[in-house]
Amino acid sequence: MPVLEIAQLNKSFDGIIVADGIDLTLEAGRIVGLIGPNGAGKTSLFNLVSGIFPPDSGSITLDGQSLKGRKPYERARLGLSRTWQNLRLFPSLTVLDNLLVAPRHYAGESLLRLMFTPGSVRAAEKNDRRKALDVLERTGLAAVAQRPASDLTFGQQKLVGVARALMNDCRCLLLDEPMAGVEGQAYQTIQKVVRDIAASGVAVCVVEHNVAFIRDLCDEGVFMFAGKVLARGAVGDLIADPRLTELYFGT
Amino acid sequence: MEYVYAVVILIGLYIVLAASFNLIIGYGGLISIAHPIFYAIGAYASAILSRDYGFPIPLAMLAGTLIALVASIMVALPSLRVSGDYLLIASIGFQLGLIEVFKNASWTGGAGGFTNIPAALSASVPREVYVAIVVVVAALAALLVRAIAHGPYGRAMAAMRDDEVAFSALGRNAVAMKVGTFALGSALAGFAGAFYAHYFRFVAPEQFDILQSSVVLTMVVVGGIRSTWGPVVGAVLLQALPQAITFLNLPPAVLGPLQGLLFTGLVLVFMFVRPQGLVSAGEVWSATRKGSEHARS
Repeated sequence: MPVLEIAQLNKSFDGIIVADGIDLTLEAGRIVGLIGPNGAGKTSLFNLVSGIFPPDSGSITLDGQSLKGRKPYERARLGLSRTWQNLRLFPSLTVLDNLLVAPRHYAGESLLRLMFTPGSVRAAEKNDRRKALDVLERTGLAAVAQRPASDLTFGQQKLVGVARALMNDCRCLLLDEPMAGVEGQAYQTIQKVVRDIAASGVAVCVVEHNVAFIRDLCDEGVFMFAGKVLARGAVGDLIADPRLTELYFGT
Repeated sequence: MEYVYAVVILIGLYIVLAASFNLIIGYGGLISIAHPIFYAIGAYASAILSRDYGFPIPLAMLAGTLIALVASIMVALPSLRVSGDYLLIASIGFQLGLIEVFKNASWTGGAGGFTNIPAALSASVPREVYVAIVVVVAALAALLVRAIAHGPYGRAMAAMRDDEVAFSALGRNAVAMKVGTFALGSALAGFAGAFYAHYFRFVAPEQFDILQSSVVLTMVVVGGIRSTWGPVVGAVLLQALPQAITFLNLPPAVLGPLQGLLFTGLVLVFMFVRPQGLVSAGEVWSATRKGSEHARS
């Protein structure tokens, strides 16, 4: 059974179609690359799935549960996690604290729990901290854990975005251009982290313009154009298809 | 001595007001200036319940606090579900509307005010006891706000102020947190109001009008928004200064405008010279006091 199932999803803004009858499934343990030119609707698809705006019609299910009408925070609590093209880190928090606000369930956001069961909040905090330090270790960020997120290099900030998304113990992970502007060590690290998370049984979907990265990392590619899914298959085949290449680069 | 006690009690109650308003507008990032109306609700509710309905005073004070809490949720919930901007409009409307009710209803004493409120302590108990209680309450309120702001809840509030969309997509319920923050801050104001009522034994509508909103806002801004001790410093300073001016033996016609000018002038001066306030908060959220000092510059 697929983890995420999108069926006949439609969305338009003032006549501009960003999703045109999209059908897409993501399976546990597999990494799917979304490719297509700018404006193809890749990020809009992520926004529809994470509930930033509602679709005009169609359905999205996560582990068989419909996401219809659910707010972004409710979807995250069901095990949907994502990163953002423009990072959206919390600049007034340290790297560690950026991760500590991101677990799927955060005990400290309820004043009632803080007041009546402070012990359970402390225990949860301790657990989350251990987990965050482990994620930072895996993403090579342990050394900058106590630095404000806004102080880091762009590549490191990208890593923080991915690390933060991993705090969810998610079922489905959406990565929006994790590689744009990333070079050197961070490049290798992100690849390894994404492979590991998929290997642990998470359904992963990556939007990326770096074709080499998609080809190395993804089990499959999905080609989008003008809000439509045009093709799905091996990344190498999609890249080799002259019809798609022409759409990608335009004429 | 009676005069000094009254000033100390007022300072203590304004510390509670400024600290709780700092929780709402500073840490919570919620734009509302209607804080004094919840102070009023606590004061009126406790006064009415104890004088006219025979509630024992501690119970009446607790009820006043809870009524302020419920009223604040009723104002915040519908407006925050739409957007943060509506809270400002809804809360000012609520403040102005409710003050009109206090002015015109018979059960609130009308514009003349509500009199003969039962005293919290009998005449045989020394005044110092009440002063001490208020000082302890003020300290506890400041420390409670500090504990919340520098604990897991405060971490989440900082993230929410930075980027609410990203915050929500991580599984955090921003609306619930905002309503919770607003309700806790307003309940503290209500609690302070109940203390006011049973010491001064008289409340009147104009004590809680929009001018009071500016007083509390000035205390937070001049003292230092999002800092623990800023609102405390602000409350002490802005309560003590006007009292000091009264000793200058100026005619009342000059004294009234002078106090208004003082508050406005202070805000203007601070906006240009020291926008972070007297006590400046760190740029980066931290769980410890040490960390917030490290970020000061």
